[in-house]
Amino acid sequence: MMDTGLILHTGAFGLIVIGIAGIVLSSHLIRIIFGIALLEAGANLLLLLATWHEGTSAPIIVDGHIPAVMADPVPQALVLTAIVIGVGILALALSLALRIQQAWGTLDIREIRQRMEEEIADTAGVDLPSSPHAPKPFPPVAAKQEGRS
Amino acid sequence: MNNLALMIALPLIAAFLLPVINRVSSLAARWTGPLVVLVTSVIGIMAWTQLGANAVAIELGGFRPPLGITLYADQLAVLFAIAVSVGTLLLWPDDGEDRIRQSTLTLILAASGSGLALSGDLFNIYVLYELVAVVSYGLVASKGTPGSLAATMRYLIVSAFGAALALTGIALVYQATGTLNLAQLSQLAPTHLNNMQGLAAFVLMLVGFGVKAELFPVNTWVPEVYATAPARVSGLLAGVVSKLALLIIVRLLVLVFHQPEALQIMLVLGILGVVTGELAAWRARDFNRMLAFSSIGQLGIMFIAFSIPGQAGIFAGLAVALHHLLVKPAMFLLAERWGGSLAKLAGVAHSSPLGAALFILLALSLIGVPPLPGFWAKLLVMINLMAQESSLYTLGAWIIMGGAALEANYLFRVAGSFYHRADGQTPPAAHRPRDLATAALLGATLAVGMFVIMPLAEQLEGVADQAADRDHYVQTVNPEALP
Amino acid sequence: MQRFTSALFLLGLGLLITAIFQHMDFTGTLPIAGDAINAAAAQQTGAANFVTAVVLGYRGFDTLLELTILFTAATAGGLVLGKPRAGAKHDPQAGFILRAGADLFFPLLLVVGLYIIVHGHLTPGGGFQGGVILAVAFFLPLLARPGTPMSHKAVSLIEGLAGASFILIGLLAMFGGEAFLTPMLDKGQPGELLSAGSLPLLYIAVGLKVGSELAGLLAHMAATEASDA
Repeated sequence: MMDTGLILHTGAFGLIVIGIAGIVLSSHLIRIIFGIALLEAGANLLLLLATWHEGTSAPIIVDGHIPAVMADPVPQALVLTAIVIGVGILALALSLALRIQQAWGTLDIREIRQRMEEEIADTAGVDLPSSPHAPKPFPPVAAKQEGRS
Repeated sequence: MNNLALMIALPLIAAFLLPVINRVSSLAARWTGPLVVLVTSVIGIMAWTQLGANAVAIELGGFRPPLGITLYADQLAVLFAIAVSVGTLLLWPDDGEDRIRQSTLTLILAASGSGLALSGDLFNIYVLYELVAVVSYGLVASKGTPGSLAATMRYLIVSAFGAALALTGIALVYQATGTLNLAQLSQLAPTHLNNMQGLAAFVLMLVGFGVKAELFPVNTWVPEVYATAPARVSGLLAGVVSKLALLIIVRLLVLVFHQPEALQIMLVLGILGVVTGELAAWRARDFNRMLAFSSIGQLGIMFIAFSIPGQAGIFAGLAVALHHLLVKPAMFLLAERWGGSLAKLAGVAHSSPLGAALFILLALSLIGVPPLPGFWAKLLVMINLMAQESSLYTLGAWIIMGGAALEANYLFRVAGSFYHRADGQTPPAAHRPRDLATAALLGATLAVGMFVIMPLAEQLEGVADQAADRDHYVQTVNPEALP
Repeated sequence: MQRFTSALFLLGLGLLITAIFQHMDFTGTLPIAGDAINAAAAQQTGAANFVTAVVLGYRGFDTLLELTILFTAATAGGLVLGKPRAGAKHDPQAGFILRAGADLFFPLLLVVGLYIIVHGHLTPGGGFQGGVILAVAFFLPLLARPGTPMSHKAVSLIEGLAGASFILIGLLAMFGGEAFLTPMLDKGQPGELLSAGSLPLLYIAVGLKVGSELAGLLAHMAATEASDA
């Protein structure tokens, strides 16, 4: 049936759009991670719908009886793989978020970025790119004020 | 030839068992990794010598395509599989607290990288790509400072976003064709994928796989990660992993997506990559970031080169890619001790003359000063770009010229400052002998390449010919299929 | 400014999706690979559940890599989380209901998990689903009694050996002259418990690997969180 297919596809694309919106629009780290999960769910649903037909039965032999019209088993196996991959990445992302929260006490992505830039600039011994002192002409003239270690 | 599967299986099994081996003997655990990667390098090199003009298809699980997963080994694939093995061997992590975990991750990188080069199945490529991604998160975060964790987090967000887009693209391809085998897709593409849906799938996969290839809009992670990760990891990511992602995109272009728009999109993104990368590198004031942005620019050149249609584009792109594969890891090895403000490097030639000389050799080749290999690679790209009719390609050629001028400016500026007098500054710590030796080895390979440039070019042209030959691919994987 | 670029990006995405939508046919195409597999799977693999035939047989390589991704995520997670600090505080003991429930559910979850793993080639389910249930079985007591040490030694031993045995089964086929990961042993009668050759063995390896991996990762995260409380 055309209609059911349309609804299911709308759902899949809807999940993808919501996921992407969550990633690009929110500034809270956990929400961004959830956005990734939603995006993956949408992609998985789309994959599952790729060869979907209404009225097919599961591709399993029950009591020696082979169903006449079976669903495509390939996307099911693929989605199983994709879900497990998603779980692995989700776990790793949450571990990272946990440690970032422990270190800096924040989960705001803009603040995290600010702190990160500061740390990079600090270890490198240069001024922050956004600070009023930057960018200065490179040696020989500017060499004397640098070297803040 | 079946042995090529061992290039994936052996490092994987070693990675699984490494924590167990470590419980028995930490000495054995320390040497297992390099040994395994050495063995896979030898397997790859032996396969390379046996491989001629005829590629080989390996049916995993013994199932005929399109039922099972096929590995496709042509010279291009084997070349990059060797590059992964040798690259991980040269850049093996041998310090840091968590050496066993890092070794495990590096072994998995060797396995998944070889797999990525060899795989001939669209979904399998996605899985391998995700595996490479997860490994790189672990390696990038291995310093453990809050900054490196934050950089990893931001890298993970971009990368997971890209991978999900790529998966969406794969779903669209499967929806249109009902198969995932690249050879069969190549046969079905002219009728099934030569439309909007095919183009959308390509764009999604280009952006998705482009994350690792430092493609223009999705490369925000590059400067942060290369500034915080261990320099050796940066070298692996910029040198080897980015080329693997590029290789996938090239394979997809050759086999599946023939729309002229696909090439044009890649060309435009490549041009933007060169412009933004080189300008940012010119403004950068610390060593790691300069290398990171220059790597974005170089990858941009590769995208421009590969967007030239036909065998010529693959030849030219391959030349730039292999050149960058040698140069960037060596530069990052130097950055191991020279990371930080460029100003601190003034006068460093007095304390480390060999390092300074190496840097200048690498920089000259990167800019494209004759007679170094980098010059020939860039020349090849320029000639082929100028031969194209579209004015967009001519623009690309001019942009590459401009990029080279910028590169010359900032790299010479740095190299020049090496020979300034150090005004009471403490010079940076000396390079570890192993880093310097590896960098010197890569530099020496570059120098030797200068003298055998013609035979090398012939060899490379053969590789490009084989890679551009669609019919050969289809025939090798699925002999009954062709009429 | 960032809001503006984000909105622009979403607009472009919307256009792309509209374009896809207009040209897409929602009835689904003919699955070339899928139909061929449905026709051949019973003879070629002997599995009654064709999804299992795909997961372990036709695309066994994907499954191996997927296990590796879990393993990598757990390893990288360990690298990120590090060792819990010495003298770390633990969450307080859980209440009576959770403790009693955990004790009650532990054997039940163990049996259900193992059942689902072993019947993966016959019924929906298999190593991944069963493995997750096993992981929950071992994680639940940890929730009920925080601070109980989980044997990391046993976990890493199981995950290493289970992963290695998956590859070893594949390599054995290779040394027997077949391709890597070719299913072996007697196919048997589809539908019986002892059928489908080496596929159930692979699923047991998958189940143990997934279970130990997830349990280890969860325990690691729980320990880290407690040390911050």
